[in-house]
Amino acid sequence: MSTMSTIWTVLIKELRDIARDRRTLALTLLLGPLLFPALILGMGSLSEKRARTQIDKTLEVPVIGMERAPNLVAFLATRGIKAVPPPQDLEGDIREQKVDVALRISDSFAADWHAGQPALVEVMLDSTRRDADIPGRRLTAALAAYGGQVGALRLLARGIDPSVAQPVNAGTLDLATPEAKRGVLMSVMLPYFLIITAFLGGAALVLDATAGERERQTLEPLLTTPAPRGAIVSGKILAACTLGVAALLLTLLAFKLSAQFATGIARQLDVSLLAIGRFLLVLVPMLLIGTSLLTFLAAAAKSLKEAQSHMTWLMLLPMVPTIMLMANPVKTQLWQFAVPFLAQNQLLLKVIRAEPISAQVWAVYLGCSLGLALLLWVAAVMRYRQEKLAIST
Amino acid sequence: MIRAHDLHKSFKTKTGTVNAVSGVSFEARDGQITGLLGPNGAGKTTTLRMLYTLMKPDQGRIEVDGVDAATDPVAVRRALGVLPDARGVYKRLTARENIAYFGRLHGLPAARVAERIATLSAALDMGEILDRQTEGFSQGQRTKTAIARALVHDPRNVILDEPTNGLDVMTTRAMREFLRGLRAEGRCVIFSSHIMQEVAALCDRIVIIAKGKVVAEGSADQLRALTGEDNLEDAFVKAIGSEEGLLA
Repeated sequence: MSTMSTIWTVLIKELRDIARDRRTLALTLLLGPLLFPALILGMGSLSEKRARTQIDKTLEVPVIGMERAPNLVAFLATRGIKAVPPPQDLEGDIREQKVDVALRISDSFAADWHAGQPALVEVMLDSTRRDADIPGRRLTAALAAYGGQVGALRLLARGIDPSVAQPVNAGTLDLATPEAKRGVLMSVMLPYFLIITAFLGGAALVLDATAGERERQTLEPLLTTPAPRGAIVSGKILAACTLGVAALLLTLLAFKLSAQFATGIARQLDVSLLAIGRFLLVLVPMLLIGTSLLTFLAAAAKSLKEAQSHMTWLMLLPMVPTIMLMANPVKTQLWQFAVPFLAQNQLLLKVIRAEPISAQVWAVYLGCSLGLALLLWVAAVMRYRQEKLAIST
Repeated sequence: MIRAHDLHKSFKTKTGTVNAVSGVSFEARDGQITGLLGPNGAGKTTTLRMLYTLMKPDQGRIEVDGVDAATDPVAVRRALGVLPDARGVYKRLTARENIAYFGRLHGLPAARVAERIATLSAALDMGEILDRQTEGFSQGQRTKTAIARALVHDPRNVILDEPTNGLDVMTTRAMREFLRGLRAEGRCVIFSSHIMQEVAALCDRIVIIAKGKVVAEGSADQLRALTGEDNLEDAFVKAIGSEEGLLA
């Protein structure tokens, strides 16, 4: 019996077996395509909507000592910020999130103002609350504008050109490409979702075909056939990869469709067929790595339950580089494309941002990731050759 | 023809080394049914696992049709049909698909597989269950499927580990008939059991194993003569040196 036909026989059998387990199959194939776009597009439109309403809407700000600065209050009103009398316990209300942001005009405001001294106003907010972010910035910006305007008027009144007080004119020239800007939100979530879809896409089949097979006592009969064990494992891994690729394709297709129907940031994602092809090229080695690793782990597990417990830490693994990059953003360097998960993360970002990827980067990435996949594959095969593996009881 | 020469096998466990098999030799001839009889934990399953090359003996040699199992395990597996202790079937596949899968793994062409399934299904009376998914099969139906799967490649030698375990009386009788049929076809049949009546009813030669060693060997009559007991049960007890396992 040749190795190739054994691989083919096992592959077909495993796929037929899982195809009859409708619920598992549906979960494996459809969870990614349905859940991830919904999550990402929903999140995108939610945060956009929040930003828009918080910027456009009239902002009501409780002001302590409103009567001490009627001109300031009038100026704020022209900026869509309405001063309201403060509640009884203002600090408590901010802490309880009833009030986003408040303003305190100091007792000596009028006196300082007339004396030409800097008059104190304080913005009160809870900086750990993301919801206070935009209102806080709006209020600060309005106060700065008021200060700048009055300062300029005072200089003019003394016959001085206000620009004298501005020796440096600081501006920012943003060199990010428009494509890159669009991808900012997606850059955090999308790579993680895609990597985990690839990494664990074949998990259901692998667990069933290794630990499940042993638990159902079909492994011992299987290993008494003359079929080479390497071919049996390879058939199982390939069957899981086939399923994983199908899940990936469906997920990417769902992204393509939802990006075309969506509004806002997601609409401008690069979902051309070329980009989809690149996604696949990045993710298929990941699929091989994940499937081989899980086969290696699950083959040694005494029960399906023990094998499933590996899933918990495996699901966290792809998050490591994402968290690392969030805490400590590093510049892209060649060595990064040799590190699993980090490499996929960086490459997916490049594809999302429609940046060119050099042949050297591809070579390093494919060489290292396929090498690792091969290593894990060999480890899984070796494990299937162990004597104790076959004994189910 | 299966020959075992002085087989030894030990396992390392947390509590120390367990000598599961320490010196088992016997010969199983073509056209005969050889029974391995012994109490639970005597080393029957481990011996059989070495015979069908799932385990390598620490010491000793196995020959199947003159082929050394250590030098050419694949040829040995080809010559053997095995019903192991673990006899699960794929629940989401039909009985036919279960059997065909193993036929393909033995390298048989599809036409030959179909032919063998027809033969075995007739011999094992599987007509009704053949195209049903095996989920919900009774113990007897599962065992039939597992036996058909083991014999799909028409092997000369057949090894069955406690084939009648968990079967009702009628199925057990049918199973005995089936094994006699295999003998009539000139095959070499080895089966293990801890039930003496089972072995006495069926076997041409009986190998009694206790504590990993062969303690007696021969036909039922020879065993009675050897131990000086008229009753085979007494002969068995005398041979293994205790009453353990008889209550199982």
